[in-house]
Amino acid sequence: MSASQFETLQHTNSHSPPRRLTDGQFALLLLLPGGALLLGVVLYPLVAALVTAFFEQSLVVPGRTFVGLANIVDVLTGDFPRLLGQTLVFTVGTTVFPFVIGFALALALNTRIRGAKVLRGLMLIPWLVPGVVVSFLWMWIFNANYGVLNALLETLGLIDGPVAWLAQPGTAMTAVVVAKTWQSFPWMMVMLLAGLQTVPRELHEAAEMDGAGTVRRFFSITLPQVKGIVGLVLLLELIWNFQHFDIIYVLTGGGPAGATQTFATAVYETAFHGFDLGRAGALGLLWMVLLMGLVVVYIRFSEKGEGK
Amino acid sequence: MSALTPTRTPAHRPPASPDSPAPVRRVRRGALRSERRGVRISAWAAVVVCGGFALLPVYWLLATSLTPREQVFAYPPRLFPATPTLDAFAALAGNEQLFVYLRNSLLVSVLTAVLSVLVSAYMGYSFSKFRYRGRRSLMYFVLASQMFPQALLLVTLYSLFSAYGLLNTYTALVLSFTTFTLPLCVWMLKGFFDTIPDELIEAARVDGASRLRIIHAIVLPLSAPGLIAAGLFAFVRGWNDFIFALTLAGPEKQTLPPGLVNTFVGEASTAWPELMAASLVVSLPVAIAFIALQKYLVGGLTAGAVKG
Repeated sequence: MSASQFETLQHTNSHSPPRRLTDGQFALLLLLPGGALLLGVVLYPLVAALVTAFFEQSLVVPGRTFVGLANIVDVLTGDFPRLLGQTLVFTVGTTVFPFVIGFALALALNTRIRGAKVLRGLMLIPWLVPGVVVSFLWMWIFNANYGVLNALLETLGLIDGPVAWLAQPGTAMTAVVVAKTWQSFPWMMVMLLAGLQTVPRELHEAAEMDGAGTVRRFFSITLPQVKGIVGLVLLLELIWNFQHFDIIYVLTGGGPAGATQTFATAVYETAFHGFDLGRAGALGLLWMVLLMGLVVVYIRFSEKGEGK
Repeated sequence: MSALTPTRTPAHRPPASPDSPAPVRRVRRGALRSERRGVRISAWAAVVVCGGFALLPVYWLLATSLTPREQVFAYPPRLFPATPTLDAFAALAGNEQLFVYLRNSLLVSVLTAVLSVLVSAYMGYSFSKFRYRGRRSLMYFVLASQMFPQALLLVTLYSLFSAYGLLNTYTALVLSFTTFTLPLCVWMLKGFFDTIPDELIEAARVDGASRLRIIHAIVLPLSAPGLIAAGLFAFVRGWNDFIFALTLAGPEKQTLPPGLVNTFVGEASTAWPELMAASLVVSLPVAIAFIALQKYLVGGLTAGAVKG
């Protein structure tokens, strides 16, 4: 019996399949289903969408013509500066306000006031409801004719007559930021509270014995200990808000007069209401470049965290 | 990243002793001197102010859903419904189209969760237990892929699904939802697999189990809580999706979030009590899922994951 015959015989007799694959090949095989899916629904669509930036292409008419950088130049000299400004206002606002509220609440709940656990649970509610529900609720609160906010402010004497919060260019962005802030701060709170709970209490006790006051201890003990988690939540929040769509789209649809339009709503409008894929791709390309800057910082940051 | 995942209960907290309760209480709580007055007052101030911002809108959602339709259009609005009624919920129950949306939401979210967990389990296992070139880059590509803007992916996904006749199908919705559930599940499950000792897998290999059998007979059963958690997160993300279902499906296949927008928003006089009642109903499954997920909340969050 030759060696090869022996091998075949052994394989047919054994119950486990032949171990022909190396570990590396097996690991690769495991990646295939997920990899294929990501390739098909994420990577290809992304690249293809970015490529349309260089073509004149419509959503409803087949075929396209190469136009080089024309779309990008068009966008850059057109409404790009305005969109960038508005997107930044939205992104920074919806990151800073939830952070301040979330951090204040996390610090408060971390002092172990009575009922902290119940309070933490209740504060999570705004974050649990779907984005469209957040929009519906605030649409109702901000309603110009029957809204509860106008009634409240009028009672307090802060406004003279009803304000159409969502229909005025001057107030619409603020209103959208408030609604998004309401949705985001609980997440900030949970993350920061978890971070605060890892700060060793002994550090505070020792520092207090040495005469350090509350403020001093906050800046020299608490803050350095939680700066990792603070950086993480700020970065993630910036990334998510930079591409947020749902609340803006439902609350104002980017209006009035484009005052709350951000990259997300503008790309969507251009592609699906204007049918102009080339322009949407150009906007998307510029948007992606900026977004990827943030994502790279985030990945660097998490790699550092993992290496610790 | 795991280094950034804080533990909930610090191990160094001194244990409570059962005898002599009065003096021990202060030791157990470890109250710092300054925590007694000033800090306590500001903690409560923060809780009251932020808590008002968090919960008053929730109250308004509840109150409006219980208000009779005519009374909603009164100005100034009544802070307590004079004659609370469940009419709005009854009206919802009589709307057949809403049940279509509900069925679609359930079906698509469950299918998304199952597909995501299935595919992510193999991918996560590959990332967790094998070492090969490009593994880390691939892992971070997966992480970053959920940060690609959905509005941009849609530009191509729409044409792609249209070309294959998949517009307005569950397939299109499930596939597009995996763009955001897959990265989340892969990272979560990798974290769970990391906690399974390598010795266990080695032992099984020595006993002659094939690599695939080890996954199915040992690793997956041991990670059941992780699989369930990842599945629930995927379910919630799918349930909350707005933009994909809005664009890729029509009324017969659409899910609740865009369905509710189409039903209620933009009409001459919005049926606010019904919309608020519907908002409560659509939020319910998410709330239940998160109560079940409490334990995994922070871990799942740091995996770069859950966001509204």
